[in-house]
Amino acid sequence: MREEKYLLVKTKQLFRGRRRPLSHVNLSSEIDRYAYTNALSKSSPATKLFLAISLLLISVTSPTPVVPIIVFLTSSTLILYSAKIPYRFYLKLLWYPIIIIAITCVIIALFFGYQEPLTEINLLGLRWAVFKDGITLGINIFFRVAGGLSTQFFLVLTTPMTSILLIIRKARVPTVLIETSLLVYRYIFVFIEVMETMHTAQELRLGYSGWLKKIRSTSLLLGNLFIRTLEQGERTFTAMNARGYDGNIRVLEDLPKPSKTALAGITLFAVTLAVTAYLTMNMGVV
Amino acid sequence: MLFRLENLSHQYSDGTLALDDVSLSFAAGERIALLGTNGSGKTTLLHHLNGILQPTSGKVYFEDKPLKYNSKSLLDLRKRVGFIFQDPNDQLFAPTVKQDVAFGPLNLGQPPDQVKKAVDEALTTVGMAEYAEKPPHFLSLGQKKRVALAGVLAMQPEVLIMDEPTSNLDPRATSEILHLLLRLNKESKITLLLATHDVDMVPLFANKLYILNKGKLVSEGSPAEMFSDAEMIRSVNLRAPRIAHLFEVLKKEDNLPIDKQLPLTIGDARKEILRLLSSQKTSKPEATSKRRNPAA
Repeated sequence: MREEKYLLVKTKQLFRGRRRPLSHVNLSSEIDRYAYTNALSKSSPATKLFLAISLLLISVTSPTPVVPIIVFLTSSTLILYSAKIPYRFYLKLLWYPIIIIAITCVIIALFFGYQEPLTEINLLGLRWAVFKDGITLGINIFFRVAGGLSTQFFLVLTTPMTSILLIIRKARVPTVLIETSLLVYRYIFVFIEVMETMHTAQELRLGYSGWLKKIRSTSLLLGNLFIRTLEQGERTFTAMNARGYDGNIRVLEDLPKPSKTALAGITLFAVTLAVTAYLTMNMGVV
Repeated sequence: MLFRLENLSHQYSDGTLALDDVSLSFAAGERIALLGTNGSGKTTLLHHLNGILQPTSGKVYFEDKPLKYNSKSLLDLRKRVGFIFQDPNDQLFAPTVKQDVAFGPLNLGQPPDQVKKAVDEALTTVGMAEYAEKPPHFLSLGQKKRVALAGVLAMQPEVLIMDEPTSNLDPRATSEILHLLLRLNKESKITLLLATHDVDMVPLFANKLYILNKGKLVSEGSPAEMFSDAEMIRSVNLRAPRIAHLFEVLKKEDNLPIDKQLPLTIGDARKEILRLLSSQKTSKPEATSKRRNPAA
């Protein structure tokens, strides 16, 4: 009776789409979808990569929160207004990592440092000092990571994975790595589909209606998926051979060329930020 | 003869005899369907024509020369004989449609400009040009099948071998693929060979039919000949097209004077019905006039 009810509820949920199975997987396919459809998808991936990497480096090496905050605002503006990513989706993406960083930074602020104790807490007879430099470090790290994070979101939300890989291929990264990544990128989505189908099939036959069943179903799913990947590899290899594969995956290079003005502009912006970071170096946070 | 198979047998490593002493041959420009149930050896046979599998015994001749299985000869063969797999996910491995279609021509060592042109042409032919930059996982199954076809067409093959090109497709996608294939055969003179168990599709497409059962070649001939042999068709667990079946019933149960050769397609059926109607008019004019005026 209980199981029947469970099945009914699950089926309803599945078909109404209220509860989407494996939501974290869906999130990454959504990122991928935006990468191909956003308003900046046609602009040069090299430019976007250059911007993202230079801002990332400046953000994480900055000694005060000033520059990371500028970086965060810049990338967020680009994501929301230039690439036209819906702000709800961007917030959804930011939410989890920001929470994690915030917790980490609170811990850093409370446990690190050794100069100038700010306050002392008496905890069950133990004296616990909170230091000024610890708090500075915590705050700095929070903003550095948040700034860096936003640059990377800018990159993944505006630039398709393939374009990024094709550019780092030019930077003489070993072809084995690039080719493997290209294949992984392609087949990850095939297996997500396979996994979702198997997961739904298991769920509709009550495979997840209890703790032990959940564990059993998950292990069966993973085992099956592993075998499927091996078979898929075999079949893809055959299919590639049928089109004259000789051990090298050749790629047609026709990415949009980066504009020199854009590159110069980004360089100028990056230098300005670096100078700002240098000038605000001795600014106190606490 | 373009392809000739001579006493071809293939045994898989698990002991299954997938092909048993098959001999057949066909010429350039033909449209051939390989018909058989699941597990009848269709795919295994197709894999021999592209050098994916080597025969356990027997020989495969392409343009009267036996196939060689070194990489140079295989490359030459695969340049001219394109193969389209049943599941497009097996074939579409590249991250974008354009990159996937470019894979074959690039392997043939063509310069980038020529490759780009070939890719554009192939995608236009299959009607997928606007999807060039999309990754395959954004496409529907029908679209994936068309991209897989483009990937092979971009290599400008003389022969197209397809494993179940219309399986799992909706009626519209099926008819689009069929029309595309017929156009390729007519305009580019591409020889077509496809494996299928869709008996209703076969008469629309093929001029020649091979029937396989349990690894053996049971029969060969035109679709009209093959499907008229109802006993043979049933013995290999297939059936005649629905339309032929209808006319067979009309002939047997209702004693309608239907031609010996049963119509297989809607076009044939229409002709046959019109013929029956007109012969009825000329032979029994009194009967029809009586029926028209029941009151009189």
